[in-house]
Order: sequence, then structure tokens, then C-alpha cells
Amino acid sequence: MSPVDEPRLASEPNGGGLPALTVSQVSVSFGGVSALTDVNLVVPPGTVTGLIGPNGAGKTTLFNVISGLQEPDRGAIHFFDTDVTMMKPYRRARLGLARTFQRLELFGTLTAGENVQVGLESTVKWWQWRHLRKALWRNSGAESARGDSTAVDALVGSDALAVTTPDRLLAEVGLGGMSNEQANAMPTGLARTVELARGLAIGPKLLLLDEPGSGLDEAESQALGTLLVRLASTGMAVLLVEHDMELVMRICDRILVLDFGHVIATGTPEAIRSDPTVQAAYLGAGSTSGGTQ
Amino acid sequence: MTSFLQYTIFGIILGAGFAIAATGLVVTYTTSGVFNFAHGAVGMIAAFSYWELVANHHVPVVLALVIILLIGAPIAGALVERVLMRRLHGATAERPIMVTLGLLVILTGVATIVWSPKNQYQLSPIVSGSFRQVSINLQYQQVLTIGIAIALVIGLRFLFSSTRTGVGLRAVVDDPGLLAMSGASPDAMSQYGWILGFVMAALAGVLLALTQEQTGISIVAMTLLVVNGYAAAIVGRLKNIPVTFIAAIVIGLLEDYIIYYALPHLSQGLNSDITLALPMVFLFIALVMLPSVRLRAVGRLSTVRVPRMPSGKESLLGGVAFFVLAVIASVVLSSAVVRGTNLLNLGGEIMALGIVGLSLVLLTGYSGQVSLCQFSFMGIGAFLMGKVAGGGSLLGLVAAALVCAVLGALVALPTLRLRALYFALATFAFADAVDQGFFQDSRVFGGGINVGRIVLPGLSFGGNRSEFLLLSVIFVLVALLVLTIRRSLFGRRLVAMSDSPAAYATVGLNLAVTKVAVFAIAAALAGIAGGLYATVNGTVGSSDFDFFSGIIFVLFVTVWSIRTVSGAFLAAVTFVVLTTFWSTGLGLVAGAGIILIGRAASGILGIDRLSTLLPLPWVKRASGGGDSGTLAGIGITPMGGEARVAG
Repeated sequence: MSPVDEPRLASEPNGGGLPALTVSQVSVSFGGVSALTDVNLVVPPGTVTGLIGPNGAGKTTLFNVISGLQEPDRGAIHFFDTDVTMMKPYRRARLGLARTFQRLELFGTLTAGENVQVGLESTVKWWQWRHLRKALWRNSGAESARGDSTAVDALVGSDALAVTTPDRLLAEVGLGGMSNEQANAMPTGLARTVELARGLAIGPKLLLLDEPGSGLDEAESQALGTLLVRLASTGMAVLLVEHDMELVMRICDRILVLDFGHVIATGTPEAIRSDPTVQAAYLGAGSTSGGTQ
Repeated sequence: MTSFLQYTIFGIILGAGFAIAATGLVVTYTTSGVFNFAHGAVGMIAAFSYWELVANHHVPVVLALVIILLIGAPIAGALVERVLMRRLHGATAERPIMVTLGLLVILTGVATIVWSPKNQYQLSPIVSGSFRQVSINLQYQQVLTIGIAIALVIGLRFLFSSTRTGVGLRAVVDDPGLLAMSGASPDAMSQYGWILGFVMAALAGVLLALTQEQTGISIVAMTLLVVNGYAAAIVGRLKNIPVTFIAAIVIGLLEDYIIYYALPHLSQGLNSDITLALPMVFLFIALVMLPSVRLRAVGRLSTVRVPRMPSGKESLLGGVAFFVLAVIASVVLSSAVVRGTNLLNLGGEIMALGIVGLSLVLLTGYSGQVSLCQFSFMGIGAFLMGKVAGGGSLLGLVAAALVCAVLGALVALPTLRLRALYFALATFAFADAVDQGFFQDSRVFGGGINVGRIVLPGLSFGGNRSEFLLLSVIFVLVALLVLTIRRSLFGRRLVAMSDSPAAYATVGLNLAVTKVAVFAIAAALAGIAGGLYATVNGTVGSSDFDFFSGIIFVLFVTVWSIRTVSGAFLAAVTFVVLTTFWSTGLGLVAGAGIILIGRAASGILGIDRLSTLLPLPWVKRASGGGDSGTLAGIGITPMGGEARVAG
């Protein structure tokens, strides 16, 4: 296995179509300090791709570039066949690009249900009468259930509001009955799950997850892995930044390793586990097993 | 050519005064992360103290300067940091804005009590005499001002870049914890920063006061004179002292050239309006020219305790109950007159101001946009109510709403990309510019414009009682509208935008559209309130909507609770009662209130202890941890089943 210099198009699992995400030669620097240097990355639909690296490697910066919170100094980002390099974050989200954050970015004074509902309603115009009418008599839109479909599967690339409700979506990610909990009063692990549900609510085709396993115990981490694999099986592309190596090695189809803003390796979990460059730069020079960190 | 040179030199002198004020702001911001809205008021107090010592008590100039600059200002700066600012670490963005505004109105309130605005306060130069250079007479005082400005810039530049203390002063804002690990005390550093900022504010105040020797100094003028430095500080991005200095000089020159070359070609009234509004115009331009702020994930959850949202049915019942109480009050108070004022008229004013408060609930309470210009829209609404269709017409209210909505959108549009502080500053600039450049113009309100009571087909609201009841109904309807908005999709978006702009954008929502929409709606509500206020009073003038009153009202709403309709109503009651019976204490009470509630973002009505003592229906009770069993789907067990209080 060797470092990757170029994006590989349509050669990944579920290939045959366009990659959900193609990052080409992206570089970012902050005041002379290079955070990313000529990074290439391809995330095919229907896969979980891991993005790992030591702290400060540039993983979150890359997420910010992909989601539009950070403009790259050079390089390009393609979402399927659309060049989104200069596109505003909300436009990328409307195309189907959702993300979570390393440090929680919940709507803290809203309930868990409302957090998800904001995502579900993201394509609705606020002045539409039917939505205003509901507000006249309802305490919160979060409790109401509409629609018959419950599956997260149906969300992928769909009009989310038409196929699910906040309660049902929260139940799908394991937070059933917690719709009325105020988000900023929730424990970190559950709050991260709310953030994940909110991301799912926009019906994404590509999901960027920045350390979703942080704050979860082993059982919860197992469950998260199961959910992500299930999401990928629906055709969703998942790009996962995670320090829990056990989780990454278990669920990722491919892994990309960043170090000091450079891609130093890419490949299957097995290949990454035994790659000496990765061991030296990331897992520690003496490591041979690639165990958890 | 000689006159150009003369104007240039005078512009540089003016700019040097601005530079001293602006660098003081930059110093405070760099060392504390707080934009001190009270900077001008501190300078004003210093200027009046100088007058008190030198002109009134004949203290030698040097001793007076030592007392003010080396004793009074440092002690005041240290106290403000220790008592007010230190406890705001980690508070929401609008809290330091509100607290420094509170300090501003307290200082102006104290000054009004100590130095009556009816008297004249003349100052003599620190150094008298002049000399002639290139056909221009220059006073030694003017040269001293330029010299001090240059010395300060060089000194501060050296302090911040080449000394350990200076680096510590800058570091305390970035990461106090890290600074502490390096052996320095973050608290001490922060205190040094405030001391330095206060000394510079005092110095700017004294020096700028000395430029007013012909007109004398006044409380409002001195407080706002320092505002001239705001634009320069913004150009320097509140961190770059040399750029701030250069910007101040350029602004001084521009102001001088405009006053001497452009304005004489305009009519007398317009000339005067533009002169007064120039500082704020510069500030607004400086804000608009700032580069876009990048959306960033701050990784900090709002810890605000949110009031419980009533359901639609509860809201309606509350509205009916409120109206029944209003009917009872209208019967009981129908002939009550206190100090020559009919209490029902005061009640009408409360309802009108309550609607302005509701606009703030929507704008600041829900969406987190700090607006200091709602009284400007209110004044514009009152003006239109008096001018459209002969006054007292519903058309006037419609015009007030539409014009204010458009104006609101126009104010919001260029400042959308700015962060909360700059947005607040833009509304600050707009409010002062409207007050100085429009309301104070004798052709606008003059001695006051007459506005008749509202006339509807078949209905008369000429009597005090019917007018009061009409306004009560309108207040209830607007309150229901605001609550309905909060429960709606739009309301969820407002709160979401306030809680996390970065997350808001990444779920596919357009921040700009939401901000403009909420600002326009809030402006329209304030415009309607202004129109109604005018019909209650019968006559309205510029003093009804002055800049400081607008700030004080925002503080009252914040003190009670800017997130609830109850807070808006109680703020209106407090404001009207104090204005009527103890106007001198208006600013003092508002400022003291905002300081006392400290970082309690939900105001008095949201204070935990109050909610445990009293059965307040709007306060959210402790709730259970939700489903206590194994959760569906992925088997997550809730962490702890203990009751948690929202926020």
C-alpha cells in the first residue's frame, strides 16, 4: 500500500457511478502555517471512509473545507459532478452534504426534537401557511408525528419531511422518548447522537462525522458503528473522523491517513494497520498490531 | 492654498483626538475581548472632573491631571474589571455589550445629577498661547494633543509587541488558562488592561473637552464625541494600533474637509444635520467595509435557561386574562390623574412601548441579534403616523410598518456578514445618526407634531379609556403573534440561528435571509408601536425617541427578560413609570439593573431562585431524563435518570 497522489474516480466499492465527494489538490494555510497540503480524497457512495491522523493533522480543517466553513487556498471540491469549491455552506447542505462537529454545535436552547425538526424543515419556506397554522395551536412541532415511513433508509437524498418525523428519527438513532429534552442539558454522548440525527434529517447523500464516538462507552460505540454501516448500506457516503481505532478498523471500507496536512497513506483497514509509515507517524513506531489508541 | 493647509492641520489635530480615544478602545478590546460602549462616558466623566477641579475648585492643572489620570481613572478601571467584567467570562456574546451599555447610562445618569445640563461648563487650555507657522496660527494645546497621540501609539506599540506584560495582556483574551500556566495571573492582566483603557479614555475625554472651549462641554456631546474614535478602531479591527491611528487621522481630515468644503454648499439645516451625523456615518461605512466574518464552529453550547413556551391555548387564555385585567384597570383608573397625567394615558404608553419590547423579544431574545435602534424605528413610525393621511389614520400605521420594515432590511443587509458586536455597533451608529441627523432637525418634529386618535369606521377612540383598551388589544395581538412565531418553523430557525450559526448553515439554512426577515419584522413592529405611541400622546417630539432612551429601554427589557412577552411588558411599565415620576433615575436604575443581574441571560424572570420561590408559569421546571429503559435502535442507555433543569 502506498501513499495516494491522485483521486481515484469510480474505482471504489459501489463504483460505476460518480464518487459522492472528490477532493482534489486542496491546500489551506493559516498565516504561513500549512494546515493541508495538496490533499486528495475520494468518497464513493455506499461506503464508510475513515479519516484518521494525530491531533493537528488537519482532519477538522478538511471537514471545514468540504462543508464550506473554510475556503481552500487552492484545489477543488466536487460533490458528485457539482463543483462546490466556492459554494456557501447552506447550498452544499441543500445538495445533500451534512456534517457533525468535533466540538458540539447543537441548537442548545431547543429540544432534541426541535433540533431534528430544524433539519427536517430545512427545505420548507417559513411563510407557508400550513406551517404557520400548526404553530397557532401546538406547543412544539417536535412531538407531532406525520407520515407513515419510519426508516432512516428512506431519508437518503429524499424530502426528509415527507418521510419521517423528529420523534421517529430520534428513535431510529436510539433516542426514543427524548424529543422534549433540552439539548444543552443532555450528556455529551446523547447530544452527539442528536447532532447525528439532525444531520440525517436533511436527507444527506454524504455525511461527514467528526469524532461521533467521543463521549460514548463501548456499547454505545458498537451501536454507533452498526448504525453507520446501515446508513452506508442505503447508499449514503460516510466520511468518518474518529480516534476510536477499534471502531474505525471495524466499519470502514477504506481509510485515509493525514499527518501534518499531508495524506500519508490510504487503503483498506488491514493495509493501514500494517503500514509502517502509518505506524511510525500515527500509531507509534513500535506498534505492530494497530490496536486502539 | 493657505486655507487648505489650515484645514489639513486642523483635521490632523481633530484626528489626533480621535486617535487617543480609538486606541483606548483598542487597548480595552485587545486585553479583555470586550468592546467598552462606556468608553465615551468615562471620557465625559474625566472631562467634567477636570472642569470641577480646575475651573470650579481652582486646583492646579498638573495636580488635577494627576488626580484624574493617575488616581481616579486607574481605580475606576480596576473596580469595573473586578466587580463587573470578571464574572462575565464565558457569558453569551450580548452580555458584555449590555453591561458596558449599562455602565454608559449609569455614568451619564450620575453626571446629569452632579453637573446640571442647564449650566455652562467652559474649559481653558492646559497650555495657553500660540505660534505662527506657514501663515497658520497654531495653539500649543493643539500641538500637545498631536504629540500625545503620537507618543501613545509608539508607546503602546512597544508595550504590546516588545514587553512581557504586553504579550501577557494580549494572551489573556486568547487563553487565560494557558497564560496562568506560564506563571502570569490572567485576572491581574485583565485588570491592567481595563486600567490602561480607562486612563486612555480619561485622557481622550480631557483633551477632546479642551477642543470645545468655544461651545463648552455637555454630557451628551462629550459622551458621543469619543464615538468619533469608534470608526477608526473598527478600521484597525480593534487590534491594530498603528492602523487605528492612521484611520483616526484620515477620519479627522475627512470630517474637516467635508465640514469646510462640502457642507457650506448645502442648506443650513441639512448642513447641521450632516455635521452631527458624520461620526456615525463614518462608523457605519467602516463596519460595512469590514471583511466577512468566517462562520466558525465555536464548540460552545448555549447554557441559557430558556423560559417555557406556552402552548397556543395557554397563550390565548393568557391574552384574554390580560385583556380582562386591562378592562378592570380602565374602569378603576378612568379618572385617576397623577402629576397632571391621566393614568390611562400612561397605560396606553405602556402598551405601545410593550410592543417595542416585543420586537426586541423577537429580534434579540429569539434570534440573538442585538439591536440598539428600535427607538429609531419607533420615532420614524410616530413621524409617519403624524404625516400620513392627516394623522390618526390606519394608513399611517400601515405606512409606519412598511417604511420601517424596508429601513430595517436596509440596515440589516450590509451588516449581515458581521459578528454580533459589529452588528450591535451598526445599530448603535444608525440610532445615533437618525437621532442627530433626522429627529433633531427642526423641520422633522419641530416643537412637536400633533397626531390625532385612531379613527375606524363606526368606532371612536377619542376617549382615554377606549384608546387604552384599543392599545391593550393590539398589544395582546402582537404578543400572540410573537409567541406564534416562536412556536412556528420560523421561530425554531431564529433560535437555531442564535444558538449556532455554523450548524444553522450546515443544515441548509440561509443565515442572511433569516436575519433580514427578522430585522424587518422587528422594525415594522417598532414602527407600529411608534405610531400608536403618537396617538396616545397627541403630540410627539424628538425627545420622545432620543438615542439614550432607546438604549435604556433595551436594558430594561434585558433586565426583566428579553426572551418573554412578560419581560417586554414589565420593561415598558418600568420605563414609563420612571420616565413619568423619576426621569433622572431612569438610566441609573436601568444600568444598575443590568449590572446586578450579571450573566443571567434570561433576566429577572429567568433567575433560578425566583422560580423556586414563586410559581412562575413561564419558567421551565426540572424535568425527567426521558425514557429510562434501553433505547430503541442502537441500545443506548440514557446517562442518568436524574431531573435536569433546562439551561
